[in-house]
Amino acid sequence: MSTLSPAAHTAVADPPRPNGHAAIRLTGVEKIHRTDRIETVALNQIHLAVEAREFLSVMGPSGSGKSTLLNVIGLLDRPSKGTVEIGGQSVGALSDRELAAKRNLDIGFVFQTFHLIQDLNVLDNVEIPLLYRQLPSGKRRVMAQEALERVGLSARTAHFPSQLSGGQRQRVAIARAIVGRPSILLADEPTGNLDSQMGDEIIAILEELNRDGTTVVMVTHDQRLASRTARIVRLFDGRQVE
Amino acid sequence: MLTNYLKLAYKVLLRRKFFTFVSLFGTSVTLLVLMIASAMLDHTFAPLPPEVRLDRTLHVTYMAMRGEGNEWSGSPGYGFLDRYCRGIPHVERMSVFTGAHGASSFVGGEKVVSQLRHTDAEYWSILDFDFVAGQAYGESEVADGSHVAVISEAAARNLFGDRAAVGQSFETRGQTFRVIGVVRNVPRMRETAFADIWVPVTTLPSDVWKTGLMGDFNAMLLADSPRNFRAIRAEFAARLPHVVMTEPDRYKTMSGSPRTRLEDIAADAIGTKDDMPQTGLFIGVLVLLALLFMLLPAINLVNMNISRIFERVPEIGVRKAFGASTGHLVGQFIVENIVLAVLGGAIGFLLSLWALQLINGSGLITNADFQVNPRIFLYGLGLSVFFGVLSGAYPAWRMARLDPVEALRGGHR
Repeated sequence: MSTLSPAAHTAVADPPRPNGHAAIRLTGVEKIHRTDRIETVALNQIHLAVEAREFLSVMGPSGSGKSTLLNVIGLLDRPSKGTVEIGGQSVGALSDRELAAKRNLDIGFVFQTFHLIQDLNVLDNVEIPLLYRQLPSGKRRVMAQEALERVGLSARTAHFPSQLSGGQRQRVAIARAIVGRPSILLADEPTGNLDSQMGDEIIAILEELNRDGTTVVMVTHDQRLASRTARIVRLFDGRQVE
Repeated sequence: MLTNYLKLAYKVLLRRKFFTFVSLFGTSVTLLVLMIASAMLDHTFAPLPPEVRLDRTLHVTYMAMRGEGNEWSGSPGYGFLDRYCRGIPHVERMSVFTGAHGASSFVGGEKVVSQLRHTDAEYWSILDFDFVAGQAYGESEVADGSHVAVISEAAARNLFGDRAAVGQSFETRGQTFRVIGVVRNVPRMRETAFADIWVPVTTLPSDVWKTGLMGDFNAMLLADSPRNFRAIRAEFAARLPHVVMTEPDRYKTMSGSPRTRLEDIAADAIGTKDDMPQTGLFIGVLVLLALLFMLLPAINLVNMNISRIFERVPEIGVRKAFGASTGHLVGQFIVENIVLAVLGGAIGFLLSLWALQLINGSGLITNADFQVNPRIFLYGLGLSVFFGVLSGAYPAWRMARLDPVEALRGGHR
């Protein structure tokens, strides 16, 4: 399991720390969705530090801001207020192109609905993050094969997503997330569309990746799975409540 | 990366079969029509055999005589051409000839209709016929009114079957002609060259044709250079007031001007203004028609591309999440559209080859020998690719700028 200290296991809401080497640090983060008529506060004063190699669960009822938090950490969404640091670098001033490059190098995503491209086979799907690194195709192939071996799907490289079970699709999605060897893996309800046995298999893969040094942040509704992680952050109406 | 894009493009084209079909159909049929139209225009306007000097040839095909309440317009007569058009500076050679008209012969009791044209000897030196046997008639045969003829391969086959035609005789319009030359068939669209039978102008019955100001004659004026067309026309115009009218009580003036082939066609198509063909307007109408013709499939292509790209919003979200920049995504969709345009172009090219062969072999246009014009094909293909890129780039650029979270919410797989 994790190499974190006991204190880290029970941490709930981290106060802002000016110094430190957290893999992820959110300070006073707020996210407000505005339309012409209404304002919705999705995140409110979030202070969160996730250490390198930590496995963190984010829980909370629907609409509590879990996915928004993951999107902000994953640089898919900019906060309305507050700062986000990834690997010690504040990302607030980065351009869209720089954010894209940082996502490509440092972060991997696993989505509840897999988001595989149906027209591409397993190997081509896994290769996607490497396309944006200007790597030669031979090297991309090798790295994609290795990622698929790690999730136990090296025999299915030529299959298309529609030919796979839900669990296999999610393993392809994990292989795609880790193929670029990111330091952070963000998983948004990775077992939400799977039965419990498949879900356990997926969590086991995430645990193994975490043991090998990847920082994992997982959004889940499942208390049983969350309890297997080193730390749980709970959100309610966009606030950290635990 | 390009391989991946191409692979995806191929898959997407297969997945959206109907869209792909409509796109390819639009592009290929547009190119097909452009190819057929340009082949016909080439056949009409380009300096192709036998009209190899068409680019420096002016034609006198239309004149008008006017008087108080009287007008006679149409082809000029031999008298006018012979007396007033010879010796114009910068004209190297001049030929006078009639139009091609049907002439019947009887072979083994069967009626054979050929197109017969009366010409002078210079006709053969301005036009470059491909003789498969024998030769053309010269000055002496024309001066003597010799009943000799040059015939096309088709006429030779119709009149004499498999027998060698040179030396044989045939009868038409009550006259007997001896074949002295056989030429390859001439397409009907080579306006001044086309016929099945060519005979000396002096074999025309009676001498009435020699004096008429108006009649059934045309002239070719071979200039030393197209740059001197203006000078030739000026001299031609300067001579017109000196024409001695044969019926001065009915006609006072004569007007008209030597024309290029394009001007001739323009005058036929949309008429003349002050006896001058409206060539600029004619070209403008042609270009407008071509643009309109290409605009419709282009708009269609843009529409389809937009809906096709909108369908793939979740994919855009995934690619953005994994590090694709706006440039990457625009590039990807442009590659897909280029593949579509090039495929459509290739199909259009094959369809053009097939259709032109079909037209050539159908006999719809006598002796047609249409060829694909590679230059026009490349222009057409270039325009398809241009519209393909344009129609893909704008929606792709808009989509690629979508917020990745919104894009990921755009659909689920």
